[in-house]
Amino acid sequence: MTVPLLELRDVTIALRGSNRRMVTGVGLSVSVGEVFGVVGESGSGKTLLTRTVFGLQDDTYLAGGTVSFAGRTLPLDGYMKAARKLLGGEVGFVPQDPYSSLNPTMRVGEQITEALYLAKRMPMNGTATRQAAIDVLGEVGIPEPELAFRQFPDQFSGGMRQRIVFAIALAQDPKLLIADEPTTALDAITQRRVIELMLDRCRTRGMAVILISHNLELLRQSVDRLAVLYGGQLHNIAETAAIGHHTIHPYTEALFDCIPSKGKTLEDIRAIRGEPAGAGFGLKGCAFASRCRYAEPICVESDLPLNSAAQNGFTACLLGRGAPQ
Amino acid sequence: MSTLWTYARSNIERTALIVAALVILMALFGGLLAPFDPLKIDFRSKILPPSPEHWLGTDGSGRDVLSRLLVGAQMTLASTAVVLVVVATFGCAVGIFSALVGGAVDNMLMRLADVWLGFPPLILALGFAAALGASLEAAIWALIFSWWPNYARLTRMVTVDILSRKFIASADALGVGTGAKIFRYILPNAFDVLIVQVTLDISAIMLAISGLSFIGVGAQIPLPEWGAMIADGRSYVANGWWIVLAPGLMIFLTAFSFNIIGDMLRRELDPTSRRR
Amino acid sequence: MSAPLVMLQDVAKSFGRRLLVQNRSFTLSGINITVNRGEVVGILGESGSGKSTVANIITRLTSYDAGSYVYDGRDVSGYLKSESFGFKSKVQIVFQDPYGSLNPRVTVADSIGEGIKLHQPQLGKTGREARVRQLLDEVGLPPDCGDRYPREFSGGQRQRIAIARALAVEPELLVCDEPLSSLDVSIQAQVLELFVKLIRERHLTIVFISHDVNVVRLICDRVYVMHEGRIVEEGRAHDVLTHPQNEYTERLLAAVY
Ligand SMILES: Nc1ncnc2c1ncn2[C@@H]1O[C@H](COP(=O)(O)OP(=O)(O)OP(=O)(O)O)[C@@H](O)[C@H]1O
Ligand SMILES: Nc1ncnc2c1ncn2[C@@H]1O[C@H](COP(=O)(O)OP(=O)(O)OP(=O)(O)O)[C@@H](O)[C@H]1O
Ligand code: SF4
Ligand SMILES: [Mg+2]
Ligand SMILES: [Mg+2]
Repeated sequence: MTVPLLELRDVTIALRGSNRRMVTGVGLSVSVGEVFGVVGESGSGKTLLTRTVFGLQDDTYLAGGTVSFAGRTLPLDGYMKAARKLLGGEVGFVPQDPYSSLNPTMRVGEQITEALYLAKRMPMNGTATRQAAIDVLGEVGIPEPELAFRQFPDQFSGGMRQRIVFAIALAQDPKLLIADEPTTALDAITQRRVIELMLDRCRTRGMAVILISHNLELLRQSVDRLAVLYGGQLHNIAETAAIGHHTIHPYTEALFDCIPSKGKTLEDIRAIRGEPAGAGFGLKGCAFASRCRYAEPICVESDLPLNSAAQNGFTACLLGRGAPQ
Repeated sequence: MSTLWTYARSNIERTALIVAALVILMALFGGLLAPFDPLKIDFRSKILPPSPEHWLGTDGSGRDVLSRLLVGAQMTLASTAVVLVVVATFGCAVGIFSALVGGAVDNMLMRLADVWLGFPPLILALGFAAALGASLEAAIWALIFSWWPNYARLTRMVTVDILSRKFIASADALGVGTGAKIFRYILPNAFDVLIVQVTLDISAIMLAISGLSFIGVGAQIPLPEWGAMIADGRSYVANGWWIVLAPGLMIFLTAFSFNIIGDMLRRELDPTSRRR
Repeated sequence: MSAPLVMLQDVAKSFGRRLLVQNRSFTLSGINITVNRGEVVGILGESGSGKSTVANIITRLTSYDAGSYVYDGRDVSGYLKSESFGFKSKVQIVFQDPYGSLNPRVTVADSIGEGIKLHQPQLGKTGREARVRQLLDEVGLPPDCGDRYPREFSGGQRQRIAIARALAVEPELLVCDEPLSSLDVSIQAQVLELFVKLIRERHLTIVFISHDVNVVRLICDRVYVMHEGRIVEEGRAHDVLTHPQNEYTERLLAAVY
């Protein structure tokens, strides 16, 4: 049994100040080189979870559970500092908005060489550094990388900018790349290109990826395994190949049924009634119970099971639906 | 009123609300409570320190300071209210008109407002004082004249923002008329921003009126206007500190309270400081 | 067969570059769109392709520079004032952003009733209130929620309110400008179901604007594909979306998940 790259056990995230527990009891593991997805509707806690786990969110804290990276468990005291140390070397981030995540006053080249300096102590002005930066720009599919090296971010379209953001992360050669809805601001065509390029480059480099999205269909076609968040609870960890074929967790199933993907007819689409529960539901009962078509009284009364062993397949369904075979 | 109270988050804000309420009550009913005639001169009892008879003492001409303060509240606050009502109404009308018409007219009106604002109110006040004679009316006119462009610009800015929202397009698609658009769409949505500005301006205008009176351009000395009272009391600071301190403190407390309330309202109402 | 409801012929419009907002100008040109009564016509295209501009031209919220727009057999450029007003009860629009498209200071019932008040004043207050309750019910909201304000509703519910407001004047044509795009995944399916129900029950003529190929494929009879201000392909939705003739349409379809 190999050591997973990232392992979360019963991770609970609370707001500073009110101590409200927004994300509760998340257990999952991502192995080296794995392409992992996190899916959930808006407000389900995807961003809160990842940003807090890597020390990027100021107004939340790790209220419980443990996070291990490459076999090393991060301390609960001074967690944020310890988690941040992983960034810019071991863990790279590609945020949602390509317009605000680049420094508009700095040339593209400088932003990459700075990243190279920070991650690998390569001299900012060295020729090798420069070449490495140009190479990585080429690698993410920027035409004329030498020219791009000297340009400013606002001379690029949204899709190209997101490639530049990705290039910066890629340059640091992290073991894990986290992409939080990296393409929601982009066109359909550009979106697919950027996602495919990103996953392809990470796969060839053996880099693990956590791709966060509200689009189950996108993830189903892009990742191997995914975690399903709802109401700040972890409901399901499933192989994407199973979705749409085997019995899966009721929420994953319902989410899949309401997406009008290719090859579906109007009859195949079944909306989930009611409104999505936001993060912060807690652990008492299944957050999805009010909308679930299988729900029984036990779903409201019992505590939701946790994936404490951070197993690769998991269902939190109290009726045991979608349990791994 | 009770909503205002629920907005308050600190004791300072609660105090400010109480002070403001008291000052407004003073302005409304102060005249009835005044124990003495605020204008009655009695040189035998001049510069009397605070005592059970004259709670806040008497001034250089033997007038009861408390009575003057109570009656003066009305004078100062009513002038402020007149200025604000006129200025806000006129400024809003100009601003909304400018935003709705748009184009060259809009540009011209806003340039005019800019240039107008460049004109120092003090000079204007001196001009009005020269034309009308130094008086409270002159001060009021001067402030009305110099202040409206603030509201025109603010309202225009807010209106332009409102007009770009989709519910206006939806109103256009239904054929909603201009009048209904102004009264059902623009004004209600601009209200929050305007009320914040008005509250903040209460203190600014009150200070300006008292200031103009103090330098002798506004209300003249026997009148119990607070600024004029300070001007009158200047010569007695050494042996009659209460004559200056009482109106000074009132001006300070009132201005300070309305300012705090304004900031509080901004925090609670301003759409830019709220989510969604 | 009766005359088409909407006939845009060679319509063009250009925007200059807007300082600080964008550094390119935009031109819409050669727009030919026909919408027959009872049809659901899709306009498919990516962000910035000009879909909303076309929607605004069809609803007469925006003017056009060249070409002609004939609505129900009459050129709209020759409209008298009363005809212009009447047009507004015949063509209604639902926008993308359910948070911005309702006046936050007006109750839901007043918002929905506004169009009835303007265009069917003869109904009176009680008649109007009855209609509003019926509309709320039709779009799947509790009929007695009319005295609440938009902020008390979720995005999906607000979109239902916006749909009720548009339907209140009994329009012949409903233009929907990406009505699902800003909603949550599970709510999109709910609102899509509502549209399907309205199409079946009301036999509405609909122009459905979207960048979601799958939604267009599911509910539209015909589709126009737009790219950079032009229509690059048109035809029966099923044909275009299964056997595209245009290279851009092909790329778009290949990109869909
Ligand atoms: N600092 C905060 N204080 C209070 N609530 C917060 C805070 N940060 C986030 N939230 C709430 O937590 C919930 C989860 O937010 P989060 O951004 O993690 O959702 P998400 O799954 O990433 O959704 P999206 O798809 O919209 O990005 C939301 O309802 C949000 O309003
Ligand atoms: N009033 C305007 N002034 C200047 N340019 C405009 C104006 N309205 C739209 N544009 C420009 O016209 C182009 C097309 O806009 P439009 O809104 O029609 O596109 P769209 O296909 O609806 O895109 P989206 O999917 O983003 O809504 C854009 O580049 C836009 O910036
Ligand atoms: S626990 Fe109950 S409510 Fe939750 S998903 Fe399973 S069956 Fe549905
Ligand atoms: Mg997020
Ligand atoms: Mg649009």
